[in-house]
Amino acid sequence: MNGKALYWMGCMSRLKVKSISDSTMKLLRLLQIPFDTLGEEEGCCGSILLRTGQIDDAKRLAIKNLAIIKSRGYDTVVMSCPGCFKTISTEYAQFVGNLPFRVYHISQFLLEKQDALKRNLKPLPVRVVYHDPCHLGRSMGIYEEPRNLIKLIPNIELVEFKQNRSKALCCGSGGGVRSVFPELSTEVAKNTMGGPLNATGAHIIVTSCPFCNFNFKNARMNDVEVIDLPELILRSWGAQ
Amino acid sequence: MAKPNKKEWLEPKRKEIMEWMSDERRRTGIGRAVNAYTSAKENALKRLPELEEMRKEVRAIKERSIAEMDELTKITMDSVTEVKGIPYLAKDMCQAHSIFSSIVGEGKLIVKSKSLTSEEILLNEMLEENGNKIFETDLGEFIIQLRHEKPTHVINPSVHVPREEVALTFSKLLGHKVDPDIPGLVNVAREYLREKFCNANIGISGANVVAAKTGTLFIIENEGNARFVSNAPPVHICLTGIEKLVPSLADAFKVVQVLPPYATGVLMAAYVSLITGPSKTADIEKTIVYGAHGPKELHVILLDNGRSAMAKDPIFREALYCLRCGGCMYECPVYQVIGGSFGNNYFGGIGIIWSAFTRGEATVAAAIDACTKCGRCKEVCPLEIDTPKMVEHLKQKLAKKGYIQSQHKKIRESINKNGNPFGIKKGIK
Repeated sequence: MNGKALYWMGCMSRLKVKSISDSTMKLLRLLQIPFDTLGEEEGCCGSILLRTGQIDDAKRLAIKNLAIIKSRGYDTVVMSCPGCFKTISTEYAQFVGNLPFRVYHISQFLLEKQDALKRNLKPLPVRVVYHDPCHLGRSMGIYEEPRNLIKLIPNIELVEFKQNRSKALCCGSGGGVRSVFPELSTEVAKNTMGGPLNATGAHIIVTSCPFCNFNFKNARMNDVEVIDLPELILRSWGAQ
Repeated sequence: MAKPNKKEWLEPKRKEIMEWMSDERRRTGIGRAVNAYTSAKENALKRLPELEEMRKEVRAIKERSIAEMDELTKITMDSVTEVKGIPYLAKDMCQAHSIFSSIVGEGKLIVKSKSLTSEEILLNEMLEENGNKIFETDLGEFIIQLRHEKPTHVINPSVHVPREEVALTFSKLLGHKVDPDIPGLVNVAREYLREKFCNANIGISGANVVAAKTGTLFIIENEGNARFVSNAPPVHICLTGIEKLVPSLADAFKVVQVLPPYATGVLMAAYVSLITGPSKTADIEKTIVYGAHGPKELHVILLDNGRSAMAKDPIFREALYCLRCGGCMYECPVYQVIGGSFGNNYFGGIGIIWSAFTRGEATVAAAIDACTKCGRCKEVCPLEIDTPKMVEHLKQKLAKKGYIQSQHKKIRESINKNGNPFGIKKGIK
């Protein structure tokens, strides 16, 4: 074991919404957590292939990715993307048996560092609403960790969509829909952000999924800012 | 095997989806229905906390019933015969058509209550071709029949038609202007259909659940039209899928309690009709005569049409547990946008599976890619049916047969070449 954590960025944070991977790495450094990334060696986790019926290719990726992570000796793998998180922690295990490392979503990992966070977070008097990503919530049962993390921020006001947690609406980008029916994907995002959000009066949506983040931003709802969990925390740290 | 032709499986569906998305009229209709449904259901579930336990019992009943579907079919055939009904087993659409033809014949006036199972076998088209006149009597079905449209929801088939459009349709029917006032519109249908019930030669209904041991058909409804259909004409034909069979009356009553709150947000449906054989009397000298005030003849057509194949598959079997409450459709973020184009003859995620087995996989090869796999349907299902898992499995089957979107193929190629799905070459920051 090499004693460091591996931060698995995921394709979306690595290449399309870099603010997510940048803020996550900045926060990990501020917390003095030793970590590596695989850089350009990090490939695809296979999630999109599984959602679009291309299971054989996904299995090949699973074997390849596991071999890389194992050969470097990481016992902890941290992820930004609920898609990677679900795929690697549940579906890889189905393909290849038990994983030789522990997989964390960033919200779980950061919550374990809450003492350090509490010492450093400064008041941030804003109203935010948290959107539950489908793969993190309904698939993996992680509803409270992101909320508890947000609540560590002094003076923040966390409000809820009318339909939240297991009943949360979808951002519209999952399952390969974005690439085939982009208009549909955007309409679903607008429906989710629209009515219920107005009821909350929040102008900031916090997500913990790069795909939700991308799709909400892409839907361009006026007066609504979309940010990822580590980005919000950095703001309170006063480091952004 | 020939490569699937995109002009057949993909392009028409893409067009249909785009039409739905850009149709404000339909979106308005669905939007209003979704809001009304979700708040009514929330209220009903709050008032009936016992449903939490009961829906689990119903799941167990369905698991048992589907495992014994062949046996329950035999029991039902025997029990229907015993009470002087006439049972039939139709293996597929073709057999169902010839059974209907032999009972109905030509030139009949037929009243029908809502049956998505009849839509599944294109029954109206066949009966009309034989020169019969059919009146759909469920208000929603009546509306779409007049508009020559397809149903778009299992419980509320005209969910996509807002009141203003209904008024236009009824104005055309009556030849004078009808206002878009909802109670007034309901009254138009009531007045228009009343004499059809009395003059019809044949009534055709579905059934929501069937108790095998006694051969009892359960028809759940709110409008009261199914009562007329199954009672006023001299002949009643009930068409129902073999997945609707449960062992006993006690089991069926459990289903009856769970279905209405999830279907429409009512605590109980206005009417539940239990029909065990044709109408009869023995009031004169204890001599039994069939056809007292109700139908003289009761024909019960049990339809397989892909259901046995579904039951044999360990993954798709779960789709047969579906009670057809339609709740998952209202709750589906994709259905809310593209409505009836999300599926084929059945709708939503579960409808994709049902359409695949009853009309062929190719009919949903394109629509399946509109599913975001968000998993809400499983979450809101009273029986917790794992539709996302079935959709993913069906997608794998379709992909292996060559039903794959070019965008998804490109994603795979980019992943293999560049290590990412976006076509971004390595080394480019």
